Amino acid sequence: MIRLTNVSKSFGDLKAVKNISFSIKEGEIFGLLGPNGAGKSTTINMMSTLLKSDAGSVSIAGNEVQKNTVACKQLIGVVPQEISLYDDFSAYDNLLFWGSLYAVPKKELNRRIKEILDLIGLADRKNDLIKNYSGGMKRRINIAAAILHKPKVLFMDEPTVGVDPQSRNRIFDIVETLNKQGMTIVYTTHYMEEVERLCDRIAIMDLGKIIAQGTKEELQKQSNAKEHVVLKVNGKEKVLFDCLKQKYATVIEGKTLRVECNVNTDLARIVSFCNSEKIEIEDLKLNKVNLEAIFLNLTGKQLRDS
Amino acid sequence: MNLNNTMILTILKKDLKLFFSDKKGMFLTFLMPILLITLFAFAFGGIGKKYQSKPIALLVADNDHSADSKNVISTLDSLKGILIIQKEKQAAIKLVQKGKYVAVLIFEKGFEDAILSGKPLPLELQYDAAREIEMGMLQGVLIQNVMTSVGEKSVKAKINNYFDTNFKDISPNVKNKIFRDLDSGKSGMNTIKSQRAALKMTSIIKQGTKKGNLGLIQAVAGTAIMMLLFSISGIGGGLLHEKEAGTFKRLLYAPLKPTTILFGKMSAALCIAILQLMVMFVFSWIVFGLPIFNDISSLILMILATAFAVSSFGIFLVSIAKSRQQLQGYSTLIIMLMSAIGGSMIPLFVMPAIMQKIAVISVNYWGIQGFYDIFWRGLPLVDILPRIGVLLAIGMVMTLISVRLFKKNILKFA
Repeated sequence: MIRLTNVSKSFGDLKAVKNISFSIKEGEIFGLLGPNGAGKSTTINMMSTLLKSDAGSVSIAGNEVQKNTVACKQLIGVVPQEISLYDDFSAYDNLLFWGSLYAVPKKELNRRIKEILDLIGLADRKNDLIKNYSGGMKRRINIAAAILHKPKVLFMDEPTVGVDPQSRNRIFDIVETLNKQGMTIVYTTHYMEEVERLCDRIAIMDLGKIIAQGTKEELQKQSNAKEHVVLKVNGKEKVLFDCLKQKYATVIEGKTLRVECNVNTDLARIVSFCNSEKIEIEDLKLNKVNLEAIFLNLTGKQLRDS
Repeated sequence: MNLNNTMILTILKKDLKLFFSDKKGMFLTFLMPILLITLFAFAFGGIGKKYQSKPIALLVADNDHSADSKNVISTLDSLKGILIIQKEKQAAIKLVQKGKYVAVLIFEKGFEDAILSGKPLPLELQYDAAREIEMGMLQGVLIQNVMTSVGEKSVKAKINNYFDTNFKDISPNVKNKIFRDLDSGKSGMNTIKSQRAALKMTSIIKQGTKKGNLGLIQAVAGTAIMMLLFSISGIGGGLLHEKEAGTFKRLLYAPLKPTTILFGKMSAALCIAILQLMVMFVFSWIVFGLPIFNDISSLILMILATAFAVSSFGIFLVSIAKSRQQLQGYSTLIIMLMSAIGGSMIPLFVMPAIMQKIAVISVNYWGIQGFYDIFWRGLPLVDILPRIGVLLAIGMVMTLISVRLFKKNILKFA
């Protein structure tokens, strides 16, 4: 559905995107993960026709974005990171306006607005002014405004920023429903749990480059990240290290041991050994293989702190 | 120092740093008041001698071609305050009607005979009452300098005629004594005063139609255009607000050309401008009795042309600004300058000649003069068309510039 080939983009001396290539299949939810400043928004802006790439090509459903801009615009919907709505309009008036820009016939548009308001659960509040909505409700209308023309591809740029957990779950449900209806979704975020829950495939960006891409399992393999336990003990650390290193890859640093093991099956055994040897555990940390760990392994830095 | 005070100081330092790093902001803050002060001083003739106002141009139509008429014209021509331009009568009247000159002094045939016979002088000053300040000055100069040269001769002729008719037997000595007393001023008679009525003063503005009050026309046209500029720049500022709020970006995601967005905004501004002008004129008609139905077709065309020029200008201001703060600065500066130069704040006729020439660079000038043509000079549409044409041209040029700047400034920062 979407193909980026050797795409680069600079702003003055800043190289925001450096020669990236990836493709997104029709009907999948594709996650673009990376810290702030990684180049995610620039990439989305190039895919959504707002920015022209300096080099390489971007195509949507076979249409070159730079050559067939208007055709591409008809194929896509964009949920911007900021709430891009008119505060002094009602939800209905906002949707009517944004839908009208895509030349959706009035009757069809009204039907579509009703359908979408039902989907996002705001049909009973459609006549309220946006300024009177909560943050989560505004986010839902922000999504609604992007799908009135039934786009083939929906770009969602950090759609859950600043919303409460309940609204976040509601947004996840909306994304999944739209995907089930056949919409290809490109989802950017720096919240790994969102990507883990929603995305079929993921591209990890850092410093303008795609550093890994694939399914979560493929990324795990690429990153070589392994589940492990970190134990801090109060004495007898040498005894514990000598025992564990026979079965697990173990590293000792002072009183702290890092043990690569299956957290679900091996942890109980390790704790039981400590009890039998009267080794006092001061601290215990379980590190499952998640995107955080994968990102850490790939880049050497924490996703949220970077 | 507690935490709150420290934060206040930190914010204060940050804002001062931002302010001093913004050269445009500095320009607007400091140079704008200086410019305005200079402009007003200039407008009121308060700047050094070299900028003193030029002589008033007075058209003269001499149909008598006599020694006396030539003598008067030569006397007038020698005065520093008046520049004499001789024209044929009808051409001269037309020029005054169009507001090109303040007045025409017409010496009708028989001027010299009238002086010699003591009859009323066939001398007429046809003038544009819209330029009452210039007229006041001109009238004073004419009465003081011109009428004295013909008045004495004329008064003596009149008295002589009077004696010949009523006192045929009066002795020549008595007659001469009376004339000597007249020359020395002992008689208490004032030849100037007596001759004031001899200069027929006629407002050249079309008679027979109900005219608007001059002050009212100035107030309505001047204020309307100035306020229109402010409100249009405010409406245009909505574009920058959209940019800040993110809705502009969403507009760009839609399958629209950027110029479509701009023209959509311009159309809205144009409609509001037309509405605003219409409301102002209807209000002036209802409350002050401004005769808006005298020439409704000219008025509608002038409203449309003015609204187009002003709304284009408003969008131009938006296009040169990158933020609403910048827009506020630019619009205040440019609108105040144009309004001052163009006659919105100060009627043009009180300004020195040089300022009246500079006025043509302002949208306000063309709009105000157009409304003067309709309500005061009572000109037909064909004579107002050039002003409408200039307003439309201003609108077109501003639109073209705005499109270029819009692409350069607004889209770049979307």
